[in-house]
Amino acid sequence: MERIYDDKYFRELAERIYDLDTEVYEAVGSSLGRVFNGSKERMVSELMKTMMVREQGYLIRSELALISNMARTITNKPKRKEIMIKYDALLKELMELPTSFAAGDIMDSRMAGLNVLNLKERFGEKQHVIVCISRTFGSAGSEIGFTLADELQMNFYDVSIMDEVLKRLETEDGTVISQDDLDRQSAHRNLAKEYFDNFRHYHGIPKRDAEFFLTSKLILQKAREEDFIIMGRCADAILSNHNIPHISIFITAPTVVRLHRIMEINPHLDAKAATKLMMKQDAKHMKRYHYYTGRTWGKASNYDLCINSGTYGIRGCVDMIKSMFK
Amino acid sequence: MKKVAAFLSSLLVFLTVNPLLAQAAETAGETVTTTGVVPPLWMCIPFAGLLLCIAIFPLVKEAWWERNRQYAVILWCVLFIVPFAIFYGAGTMFETVLECIVNDYLTFIVLLFGLYCVAGNIKVEGNLAGSPRVNVMLLAIGTLLSSWLGTTGASMLLVRPMIKMNSWRKDRKHIMVFFIFLISNIGGCLTPIGDPPLLMGFSRGVSFFWSMRLFPVLLVNMVILLVVFYFIDQFFYRKEIARGAMPKYDPEAPLLRIKGAHNLLFIAMIITAVILSGVLPVTVLKNVPGIHLFGDVVLGWTSVVEMAIILLAAWLSFKTTDCSIRKQNHFTWSAIQEVATLFIGIFITMQPALMILKSAGASLGLEHPFQMFWITGALSSFLDNTPTYLVFLTTAGAMGFAEGISTTLGIVPVKMLMAISCGAVFMGANTYIGNAPNFMVKSISDENGIRMPSFFGYMLWSLCILIPTFIVDTLIFFL
Repeated sequence: MERIYDDKYFRELAERIYDLDTEVYEAVGSSLGRVFNGSKERMVSELMKTMMVREQGYLIRSELALISNMARTITNKPKRKEIMIKYDALLKELMELPTSFAAGDIMDSRMAGLNVLNLKERFGEKQHVIVCISRTFGSAGSEIGFTLADELQMNFYDVSIMDEVLKRLETEDGTVISQDDLDRQSAHRNLAKEYFDNFRHYHGIPKRDAEFFLTSKLILQKAREEDFIIMGRCADAILSNHNIPHISIFITAPTVVRLHRIMEINPHLDAKAATKLMMKQDAKHMKRYHYYTGRTWGKASNYDLCINSGTYGIRGCVDMIKSMFK
Repeated sequence: MKKVAAFLSSLLVFLTVNPLLAQAAETAGETVTTTGVVPPLWMCIPFAGLLLCIAIFPLVKEAWWERNRQYAVILWCVLFIVPFAIFYGAGTMFETVLECIVNDYLTFIVLLFGLYCVAGNIKVEGNLAGSPRVNVMLLAIGTLLSSWLGTTGASMLLVRPMIKMNSWRKDRKHIMVFFIFLISNIGGCLTPIGDPPLLMGFSRGVSFFWSMRLFPVLLVNMVILLVVFYFIDQFFYRKEIARGAMPKYDPEAPLLRIKGAHNLLFIAMIITAVILSGVLPVTVLKNVPGIHLFGDVVLGWTSVVEMAIILLAAWLSFKTTDCSIRKQNHFTWSAIQEVATLFIGIFITMQPALMILKSAGASLGLEHPFQMFWITGALSSFLDNTPTYLVFLTTAGAMGFAEGISTTLGIVPVKMLMAISCGAVFMGANTYIGNAPNFMVKSISDENGIRMPSFFGYMLWSLCILIPTFIVDTLIFFL
């Protein structure tokens, strides 16, 4: 019978590879780490993606070879034999994968799967609607997000709310030193002690990275619990990496319009200071986003929807986004 | 198999009883020296062939190579042994092979085995997550530790914690490559315990702490390599974060905890055995003959004592450590088996190259430290660095210098000795076969989900990173 190479088949094959890795790792009893070290969903998704790109087929074979390296060290012979039979079968199937999957459509099935336009098909009963909004400074992104959350009756998280939630978590589990504590200690600062304390608290990970990991965990946890709108925080990339459906929006406006708005909101700023502040904030966002996601902040192809708020205004933007949910 | 064995044994008998062949070889123009013979260059073909097999087969026929590498080793050994026996007689051949197995390979593999066993019984646990700065710290500590535990000891002790810390990451081969550069090689330059060539120097009159003079060279190398490593690791670390990987740790667990810590005593025991192997021949066992085996081959009592202590330490370590630690460490015999199999072939087939080197070393016209640094290093990258070091130390000692370090081989100028020592120790990092722990680290990494570079892939790393570093060393220290 001829095999049908569809998503279902690739998923099944990827799951079998992941399960084989788990089985080998458990049979070995090691604690030194395995080949696929992320969550099953994420790893399966990565494997599927690699399978679809024939030029990268060797990568999967090479990962499979690493699993077999480990499998060969299993001391229980019947178990090793059983695993090696599974390995051989998987390798055979991988070798038989066709050389091209081209169908002419531009749609990236993985990205499309995360796209809100497939809302009805995608969001099952257990999934929540999540909107990630990135915005340039002064483009009224926060106001658009807040209004949208209010009208759609969804929770709203921006940087200050996220920081508050994180602070609460930090003090609860003690994994991260809260800023308050640091401020309190700042009067009697001992840099060496502070460095060591940070090192110990963050398990050798730099503080800002540890905070990013904690934020990621928090976003993923919220994504399992509720519908929400989140401003920035690299949430779109975090959710994409973990295959959680969401819609990503980038809001910007022409520089002049943004400057005008910044000066309106901050009357004490003159044009020069407002320009400086705008450029500084945008550069900070751009740098942070690139550091943690490897993507270019504001690049249209990274988002589902890019809006010029200068053209539509706050109300128009809100209505436009809302229309996607109808 | 029986037929092959019968053929080989009859060939051996034929060669043993046929001295005419050896005579023919002499009349054909090859020189027979007091230390042995000087074979023609083509006899190095089996060595090159074996190296090519090690380099190419894992790339093109990995599974086949894993099952059959021992046959490849036997084949290349036979291809060296038979022509050698035909040219110089079976007696000389047997003596050469026995000498290399008993006095080079046996002590080498027993030391490796001992450290492999004991280190496998130590589990360094903790909640440190492999980030660039943590990796730099561990590499720096490991590099400095190498001189006091030996490159093999430090490598075996730290390779598993390094793998564990970075287990949350996918791209981590570069970490193990720099581990080999620094901990398995360069770090061993400060004391005779660090690397066997320096131990040879120590047993020939170089004082124990003389190698501490190499600290500035080590420091320069550490700084360059750790800075380069930091940026490379930062690049891969950011890639991991971008693809959504997150370190896993238990907030309640301590930062660092050692299980089976009593095994550190056995490591100390092994280090003592290594030191004794350098001290005994010039003190207690100075005039005590060893066990005569065949021809001029004598197994020295020093080696016997060293191996006995090491094996005892390994045995005690196994007896006193719970097997669950080995399981958590993913301790298997395959890595040491692989090294034992490949290196017996390497040791045997490299004999012609070493013989040529011994006879031609003095006539190479090496007069400057930088020449010594590069030639000792280049040869140490592929040959055993201990005899290479000795050849050039002897060459330097015979040059008749009036000022410098006084050794039993003559007076060697400080800069010259520094160059020979650094060349032998540092450039072992250039290839997987340059130093014993290199291959061990590769094998252990391969078994634990890290896709290590191939033989040539690794050389590309060393070519791009180590060679420029060594050029800086030359400019600063050896010109």
